[in-house]
Amino acid sequence: MKKMMNQLGESMKTARRWQNASKTAIAVSALSFLASCAKDAPQDTWQPAGPNAERIDNLQRPVFYVAGIVGVIVFAAVAWVIFRYRDRGQAIPEQTHGKPALEIVLTVIPVLILLGVAIPTASTIFKLAKTSDTEMTINVTGQQWWWEYDYPAAGSNAEQYGITAPIVTSGQLVIPENTKVLLRVTSRDVIHSYWIPKLNGKKDSVPGRVHLLRMEGSKPGIYAGQCTEFCGLSHAYMRMEAVVLSRADYDKWVANQLEPYKAPEAGTEAAAGEALFIQQCSRCHQVNGLANPDGSLIISAPDQYLVSGAAPNLTNLLTRNTFAGASWDLLTPECRKNVWNASSADFGERYLEGVSADCLNQKDLREWLRNAPAKKPMYADPTKLTTTGGKYRGMPALGLTEDQINTIIAYLLERK
Amino acid sequence: MITTSSKLFYGLGAVSVAAAIVWTIANDGGALGAVALVFIAIASIFLGAIASYVRDGHVLSTDIAQHDSAPAAQRGPGRSWFPLGTALSLGMVVVGLVTSPGIFKVGIALLLAMLGEWLIQNWSDRASSDVGYNARVRGWVVHPLEIPIGGALLLGAIVLSFSRIFLALSAEAGPIVFAILGALVLFFGSILSIRRGVSRGVVGALCGIVLVALSGVGIATALSGERQALTVASAEDHYAVHPCGEEAEEYDGSAGRAVSAKSSVAATVTLKDGVLYAEMDGFSGPLSSITLQRSLNADILFQNEDAGMHRMIVTYGKTVEDLGGGVKKETVLQTCTAMIGQGGAQQVVVRIPKPSFASDVPYTITASGIEGASIEVMVP
Repeated sequence: MKKMMNQLGESMKTARRWQNASKTAIAVSALSFLASCAKDAPQDTWQPAGPNAERIDNLQRPVFYVAGIVGVIVFAAVAWVIFRYRDRGQAIPEQTHGKPALEIVLTVIPVLILLGVAIPTASTIFKLAKTSDTEMTINVTGQQWWWEYDYPAAGSNAEQYGITAPIVTSGQLVIPENTKVLLRVTSRDVIHSYWIPKLNGKKDSVPGRVHLLRMEGSKPGIYAGQCTEFCGLSHAYMRMEAVVLSRADYDKWVANQLEPYKAPEAGTEAAAGEALFIQQCSRCHQVNGLANPDGSLIISAPDQYLVSGAAPNLTNLLTRNTFAGASWDLLTPECRKNVWNASSADFGERYLEGVSADCLNQKDLREWLRNAPAKKPMYADPTKLTTTGGKYRGMPALGLTEDQINTIIAYLLERK
Repeated sequence: MITTSSKLFYGLGAVSVAAAIVWTIANDGGALGAVALVFIAIASIFLGAIASYVRDGHVLSTDIAQHDSAPAAQRGPGRSWFPLGTALSLGMVVVGLVTSPGIFKVGIALLLAMLGEWLIQNWSDRASSDVGYNARVRGWVVHPLEIPIGGALLLGAIVLSFSRIFLALSAEAGPIVFAILGALVLFFGSILSIRRGVSRGVVGALCGIVLVALSGVGIATALSGERQALTVASAEDHYAVHPCGEEAEEYDGSAGRAVSAKSSVAATVTLKDGVLYAEMDGFSGPLSSITLQRSLNADILFQNEDAGMHRMIVTYGKTVEDLGGGVKKETVLQTCTAMIGQGGAQQVVVRIPKPSFASDVPYTITASGIEGASIEVMVP
């Protein structure tokens, strides 16, 4: 009787263990499944928005399915073997060695699967590396912790897209739709990696080397990305966005970028902001056309103050939607929604409006101007610059008063 | 038999000999220290020999009957070279203190390793009365460290030897030697693999001989130095920015032999038939105008396809220095290659700190001795 009770107790314990294990497995599976159902996933590789990303998608989907099927078969087989041949005190079965027919089959099947994967993979790699069909070329330069884009005034850029003088911007890469753009990716300091998941795979940006990456968007919109090579303290804040515009809207954007500098009207708050900008910001940040009272151009000297030797060009800051390495929006959440959720037809018009005073995200911009390193860690402690020869790796706290911040914002609002 | 205390004396003697050699080299033949060290070595080796003879003093040398039965004459747990290694490392530390921080650091690392090994062996020798078991216990503890570190050091020695050999050989001979060596390895490897009954000892001995030969040639070539072209290029600091006009003796004789450093340059500038043109990835055809990023170390490769010696000159504005008293000194900012003959190429790094619109005069790339050939450089 006692023995029977013990056996019953053991069986119940085993059943409870199985129950708990099953619950855990179901919970983990459900969580994994739900994690793949994110509706608002701007960096989703499974939602390609251009031919290059589609090529990758066309490759990764069948590979994923095949790998999934193989994985399920292997897991099921292992589980069956574990359960079926578990130790129940039975005698050890006869041991054999070698079964040529089975071994050949188990070798040939994976070889065939891998060949089936390798052929389209090689083909896709070659297609993604093609550069002979380039219609536009843009330099992409990474540095801690933001991306700079400059549009060379040469070749088809000048002939077909009216880029008669180099355009330089940051945070947002702006390209025309259905255009084969070639990015020349490099770096000023350490290795970064450029990735807009919906438009193409990633490409390392390496100091001293120029790496090429195709980029093409099929319809107007904004596509988010993230630096994918750990590059120091604020790597997580090194983001980027690619903006795809219709050809007509792109031409407007180019024309706007090439417009000469317009100084604020004398006596306005923006004019006071300009004076303060010259005094505080223009040492590192270039605003093309900004001049001293005597008419001489003000040329920034980031080489003297920054390790990377560069700071974002702010000539047309408010034509962009983001600042500080695309880490924060220049638009309020409502205005941002209007741009991001716009239909393809309306997107260009909304994007080209830039950032108005009503739509400006004052909260984040003010916090940034008050104390930038507190918002984004940047080794900006002036007492700890001995290892960098007195140079900063980002924007230091400038100690601006609230009034000074007001005037700077008034000035920046006219930079579009 | 080498007894425990005699090892210490022998070790001290060996260290003293090594120290005397290093002393002599480091002090340019200074004799006093070397004489002292040699005497210490002689004394140590003499004392070591006596210690061995008298079995560390456990048995009288005249008591012949005790020579085999005394505890000191019994087989110990096995030879340990770690005391000797410790003494050598200590010597290295002392020598390093006097001569070079590098030797000192290596000495410290070796000293720590030897002491660690010595401690572990000492502990494992007392794990049980079974010598074999004790050796296995030691292996469980130290093999996970010894084998990968030893392997890495061995691999490092092979790689270092290979690199020294190929840096010393001419650029033409290098690939030939490499191909022959590879073929020999493949040939002997194939023979060994198809021949049955080749003992592990033979294979080990062969590998050992090859390793010793490789290390020997590596050391010899390291001492003889790198090939002339590399030595000169290093002395001239080819990748540094030179004031234009300084001549370099060495440049690539064959531009077609492009290595990885030249495979992804910002621009390739070619002088051909008196015309200067640029090529950049992403742009089809030759360019008469290029855009370079501001404050970026941009690699530019210059290829001279014309007869005669020419250099590429990148001009990007000027600086004005106020010397006081109304006197100003203007310096034109330029980066140049060396004078290069036909078929040659040289890569330079150009870093332009100011945008091109900051200058009254356009930024340009020109070639010396070629009038009118120019490429405009735009910097946003």
